[in-house]
Amino acid sequence: MATTAMPHDTAHGETHELPFIRKYIFSTDHKTIGVQFLLMSLLFLFVGGLAAMMIRWQLGFPDTPLPGGALLPETMAPGGFLLPEFFNSLVTMHGTLMVFFAIMPLLVGVFGNFLIPLKIGAPDMAFPRLNMWSFWTAVPAGIIMLSGFFVEGGAAGAGWTSYAPLAANGEYTGVYLGQQLWLLSIALLGLSSILGATNYITTVVNLRAPGMTWFRLPLSIWALFITAILVLLAIPILSGAAIMLFFDQTIGTHFFDPTGGGQPLLWQHLFWYFGHPEVYILILPGMGVVSDVIANGSRKPVFGYHSMVYAIIGIAFLGWLVWGHHMFQSGMNPALGMTFMVSTMLIAVPSAIKVFNWMGTMWRGNIRFHVPMLHAVSFVAMFVIGGLSGVFMASTPVDIYFHDTYFIVAHIHYVLFGGSLFAIFAAITFWYPKMFGRLMNPALGRVHWFLTFVFFNMTFWPMHNLGVGGHMRRIYDPNQYAFLQPLAGTNRFITISALLLFTSQILFAVNFVVSWFKGAKASHNPWEDNGLEWTVPSPPPHGNFSATPTVLHGPYEFSSPLVQDADFLPQSRNLDALPARPAGE
Amino acid sequence: MANAQAAAMVSPGGRELGSGVYNEKLGMWVFLGSEVMFFTALIGSYVILRFATPDAFAAPNAILNVPLTGVNTFLLICSSVTMVKAFAAVHDGDQRGLRIYLLATLVIGATFVGVQVYEYIHLVHSGFIPAGYAEGSHLAERAAAGELPPSIGIYGSSFYAMTGFHGFHVTMGVICMSFVTLKAFRGKYTRSDHRGVEVIGLYWHFVDLVWIILFTIVYLI
Amino acid sequence: MSETHAFKHPNYWAVWAVLAALTLVELGVAFLPWSKGVIVLLLVGMALWKALLVALYFMHLRFEANRLRIFAIAPLPLAVIIVVAVIMEFV
Repeated sequence: MATTAMPHDTAHGETHELPFIRKYIFSTDHKTIGVQFLLMSLLFLFVGGLAAMMIRWQLGFPDTPLPGGALLPETMAPGGFLLPEFFNSLVTMHGTLMVFFAIMPLLVGVFGNFLIPLKIGAPDMAFPRLNMWSFWTAVPAGIIMLSGFFVEGGAAGAGWTSYAPLAANGEYTGVYLGQQLWLLSIALLGLSSILGATNYITTVVNLRAPGMTWFRLPLSIWALFITAILVLLAIPILSGAAIMLFFDQTIGTHFFDPTGGGQPLLWQHLFWYFGHPEVYILILPGMGVVSDVIANGSRKPVFGYHSMVYAIIGIAFLGWLVWGHHMFQSGMNPALGMTFMVSTMLIAVPSAIKVFNWMGTMWRGNIRFHVPMLHAVSFVAMFVIGGLSGVFMASTPVDIYFHDTYFIVAHIHYVLFGGSLFAIFAAITFWYPKMFGRLMNPALGRVHWFLTFVFFNMTFWPMHNLGVGGHMRRIYDPNQYAFLQPLAGTNRFITISALLLFTSQILFAVNFVVSWFKGAKASHNPWEDNGLEWTVPSPPPHGNFSATPTVLHGPYEFSSPLVQDADFLPQSRNLDALPARPAGE
Repeated sequence: MANAQAAAMVSPGGRELGSGVYNEKLGMWVFLGSEVMFFTALIGSYVILRFATPDAFAAPNAILNVPLTGVNTFLLICSSVTMVKAFAAVHDGDQRGLRIYLLATLVIGATFVGVQVYEYIHLVHSGFIPAGYAEGSHLAERAAAGELPPSIGIYGSSFYAMTGFHGFHVTMGVICMSFVTLKAFRGKYTRSDHRGVEVIGLYWHFVDLVWIILFTIVYLI
Repeated sequence: MSETHAFKHPNYWAVWAVLAALTLVELGVAFLPWSKGVIVLLLVGMALWKALLVALYFMHLRFEANRLRIFAIAPLPLAVIIVVAVIMEFV
């Protein structure tokens, strides 16, 4: 018989008054921790975006000083012109901050924390104090990462993939301490992630409310659960590799250094063995959220719920077998090359199943184009584009041409921005009322969505063309090559679009901040959704549920023939009870 | 589906069945999964580097002290037995057995760490450092004389990384073990609730398990 | 509250004896004048046998439900895949 440790005696909804520090700073409440991750990640999203703007400025207008460049020190941008070494750091830090400190914590740290206990009917995570430690190890990791900018030699400059021996030897990059700080930060963040994953997995397995069987779990929870398993098993590989690289940098070991008998390919294999599951970590929660939102917006059950679950599991499983497709050009064993081409092509199948199921969900639905729905549908469309470019890259002979070009950059951004970030916008907008008790402004939300969608495509679609034209990645001065000079106009176009894209995010920031104080107050269930979180007040009290809910239905019973008074059926609503509870009270 | 039917499918005890074990135990097993991957990266790298450059590694007992480490391995295995005996004791309500066996585990575990530290000091002293041979050291001279491989940079690197992190994990285990032992002496573990003992036991056995593999791969092969 | 499923404890000292014996045999085999391949096979086999004994008897996997065993087993194929795949680079 499974027993659970109730985290507090607050299962009955009482709140004993905690001092400010225990309540808001060192909180053990999953909802507070989720919001903490949200604020931290949005900050890093902004910093990562700033780095991108500087990169784009260099590529679009290399002969014009960077606006605001006078603020940067001589070691980075004398006279407002970026130094090549600083450009390398920017490229590295943009990728690192976005992957590790923005997208991953936004999806896994924020929504894993906020949604899991609420949507499974639990009062909190299985290990609330461990949860607090997860956040408070992520923060110093972030500080260490940013500190690289302030040390001599600057921030890490070997790419977010930190390939050895480039990253192992400061003489190659000109970066010494910064490169070591990068590894320390990643190791600390890894610990945070592993603790979090342990918490999420234990919680989903052991703390589901009665009636919340595995196949009644919302897809957002399935996705977060499977993602947590990926985090648990993939991150330690990176931790191990990072430690070895750190030793190469500091105590004279030679794991990856050929001059000392080491193997550079070992780094690449270890990194990508982590790195490929990592990209599924970055997309699966987004897919889960999108399923929830599209069902809600279509007022229909998710088409093919079971196959959606199997597709998530299939993607996670296959994701372990494709890592070599990042290494087609590395000189690895050609037999491995063939294997990875086949496995990579295969992984398109479960992803495609999900796309068809999202379309099937919307088909003949009673569609409400609320702001989360706009973002969720955009996710599907942009993910398809990103996935299609992936099919090209999966073919080893094609990748020989595309590897390390802007074609890859286009792919990355279509899945990470067009995919993950749109899902994040959908999720934030959708669960904002539950988090803060207020609604975001829908008109502002629509304008933000529209501008983001348009400028996003204007920024990243042309990168496919750049890639086909042979424009390589991470290059400071493409115009040094005659064959790239005709692409300078495209680079300018992209830069202008990117600046407009970045600026449009002000609308989101304003909406986020102003709504916190001035937004329309949210009822229990403003979206008329079925999840358990919508049966409790906005925001929910400590302990979430005044009594443990009993789950009686699946997660997507929209437009059910069993219900006469509404087009949705909350998972814990007892249809046989009298009187029927009014919707969205 | 009628609600009565749905309600009947709910399990007693307040939650869905889940793993069938309490949170802390499940949590430790889950965490150990991540530790398997962590040691795979380190030990796996050793194996891989050895396949890549077999000549950069010394034969068993050429540099490392196999007999001493063999004894140390035996000690760690003993501490595993005392650990599980401690668990069995409290499971059967034997408080005295719990305390004695926990204390034994703690002492043996600390001894293991001590012997490892002693071995490290001795190795470094004779010239075996993470970067390979220390210049001008005894081992460097033997290598120059042809008794040892000419350069063993990756042997040193992987040896210290693997055993160092294993030692770090054992040390963390010893620290936690001292807290558990203290609690045991205060009578905090009972027949009906001895979660802390079982959970630290799992961690301790895992650390022993990793060493069993490490010892064979690094010291004997 | 903790799990108090009644199970009969295995003979832990017997397991200890087997572990100790295997360790001794390993130490012996390591220095035998046989071919390297055979020695490695024997040593790895014995190490895995010892590891299995610890997992099954000391960590009680022998007596646990399948749904817990899955957590213990899941990482193993992943560990094997990466090591085997990268070894293929060098042989």
